[in-house]
Amino acid sequence: MSSPDPDGMTRRDFLTMAGVGACACAAAGAGLVTLDFMKPKVLFEPPTRFVAGTPLDYPEGTVRFNREQRAYVIGAAGGVYALTAVCTHLGCITRYLSDENVIACPCHGSRFDIEGNVVHGPAPRPLPWIEIRPDAAGNLVVDTAAIVPAGTIVRV
Amino acid sequence: MRAPTVGGVSAWLRETSVYRSIVRHGVADTNLNRSLVVMENLFLHVHPVKVRAKTLRLSHTLWLGGITIACTLILYASGILLMFYYHPSVPQAYRDMKELQFVVDDGLFLRNLHRWGAHLMVFAAFAHMLRVFYHRAYRPPRQFNWVVGVVLLLATLGLSYTGYLLPWDQLAFWGVSVGTNMVRAAPWIGEPFRFLLLGGHVVSENALLRFYVLHCVVLPVTLIVLVSIHIWRVRKDGGVQGPPEDDASSPSAGEQP
Amino acid sequence: MSALPPISIEESNDPLATPRRVALVRPDTRPAVRRREETYVMTFPHLVVREIILFQVVTIALSIAALLFDAPLQGIANPTETPNPAKAPWYFLGLQELLHYFPPVVAGVLLPGLVVIALVVIPYARINLSAGPLWARGGPRLLAAITTAIVGVAAFAALFDCWPVAVPTLAVGVVMLAARGGERGSRFRRALAEVTLPEWIMTWFVIVASVLTIIGTFFRGPGWSFVWPWASFRSW
Repeated sequence: MSSPDPDGMTRRDFLTMAGVGACACAAAGAGLVTLDFMKPKVLFEPPTRFVAGTPLDYPEGTVRFNREQRAYVIGAAGGVYALTAVCTHLGCITRYLSDENVIACPCHGSRFDIEGNVVHGPAPRPLPWIEIRPDAAGNLVVDTAAIVPAGTIVRV
Repeated sequence: MRAPTVGGVSAWLRETSVYRSIVRHGVADTNLNRSLVVMENLFLHVHPVKVRAKTLRLSHTLWLGGITIACTLILYASGILLMFYYHPSVPQAYRDMKELQFVVDDGLFLRNLHRWGAHLMVFAAFAHMLRVFYHRAYRPPRQFNWVVGVVLLLATLGLSYTGYLLPWDQLAFWGVSVGTNMVRAAPWIGEPFRFLLLGGHVVSENALLRFYVLHCVVLPVTLIVLVSIHIWRVRKDGGVQGPPEDDASSPSAGEQP
Repeated sequence: MSALPPISIEESNDPLATPRRVALVRPDTRPAVRRREETYVMTFPHLVVREIILFQVVTIALSIAALLFDAPLQGIANPTETPNPAKAPWYFLGLQELLHYFPPVVAGVLLPGLVVIALVVIPYARINLSAGPLWARGGPRLLAAITTAIVGVAAFAALFDCWPVAVPTLAVGVVMLAARGGERGSRFRRALAEVTLPEWIMTWFVIVASVLTIIGTFFRGPGWSFVWPWASFRSW
């Protein structure tokens, strides 16, 4: 048996490190497997796309509220656009007040204009514009999960 | 400044006040510190600070009790993970089994692990009981621990049986139907007990839910409590006892054969 | 059990020379008295490291099994369609086999109940605590008693056509009787002669239970008929 090198590692230290390292790798692997397992591969939530009629249903000034999908489809001068109806403050469903031409949230009093900008209340951000596009048959398809820059309009 | 080594970094780490607030002993290279490692740890301090060297041999007890406990830990971990995808209702339970096997990553692996671990645990518990019997390690002062062990064996069989129903396939349904029909044969208490166990007259949603609660809550808690008592008593009775001739406290130890 | 030195008893009224009260402690019932010095090692690291290694070995073995073999999943439960045969989990198949021979009260309630009670009572039964080799102190009466018991159990089983119980009972009985007088034989015969009565009974029980379970698992097919293993439908 050779004499131990004072500045180096003993065989015992090396084997200890190898053993602990192997256990650490196994633990890390188990952690990753668990994390991967926990991520659901299939969601049972309802689909976010829906058909919102044709561009002819939305003359300028029309505001249609789809309750199940929680979205407003609005007719403007140049075309049609869509806003989410979920308040950006804490997630309540807003409602459109036609006589005042504002979107109001019943929970904490936030108010938005029909372009989504905050005009009153604690909402921190304007209402996001959501994707609306025509399909092959000319119907308007809205996707509440796809957020687009404000001002994106489907030209009619 | 020297290059950082693992030893150097861990030595520095051990000096920090945060570490020393958590770990109250030094490096385990003195017998004092080795004792403290065991004494100051909630889980380890079921052990004595020193054990008889001969009890460490595989041939002493075949480590069967240890194998049973290792299976228990694996079953608890895999079982809890499986619970995140399983609804104990009919017919959703069966669909969840399919989802686990075909959709969820590592679902098949975890389910298999749980199943084979359950078989190994039942087998190891029986083998452990036989080992203790043939070594006569139930003699005073260990009698009551043997009784606790028998109850643990029944709890293990109960866990296996209640878990058997949960996949809600033909094997599960009819296996449990046959078993609970056997219970019916007991005079007087058989039928009422079966009614309580199944939550009805036949194996149905009620039975599934009851078996689920038994399998995931009642029996696991019972098992943990009884295993803790079981191990504690082993400790208090002087440690595991292997072959009677080897046992230092046996009357024939040390005498000429 | 090795021979103890004879106990000599002195009677005297001198309390200093001879103690008046004698407590007789049978050594085989009180193992707490330490007779020999033992080597001790520190729990940490010796025991703790072995426990960790054991846990790792069991995990690896089970993981390999889980990767190679799939747990079964048959069709969804259908209360109107009984599979043929309808088998309980393997640890109950021994009982289910017994049900083939005995009425449900006996096979399903009485026998398992008696088994559990017998297990629980083991450490409190005098015979388990003090048993020596079965034939050590036996004469012809013991031989007659054992033979009667073996034949009785086998006959009772045969009465119900329960061959899985009768045949192993006779086999174990033959070995038990052959063990008699084996103190001066090969190592195997000497070891056999050392077996105590409780150990014979437990061995008999384990063998009978194993035979019943193996038959129920591998040799029973539709209608609980006897089939060869390759034809029996089995699942874990």
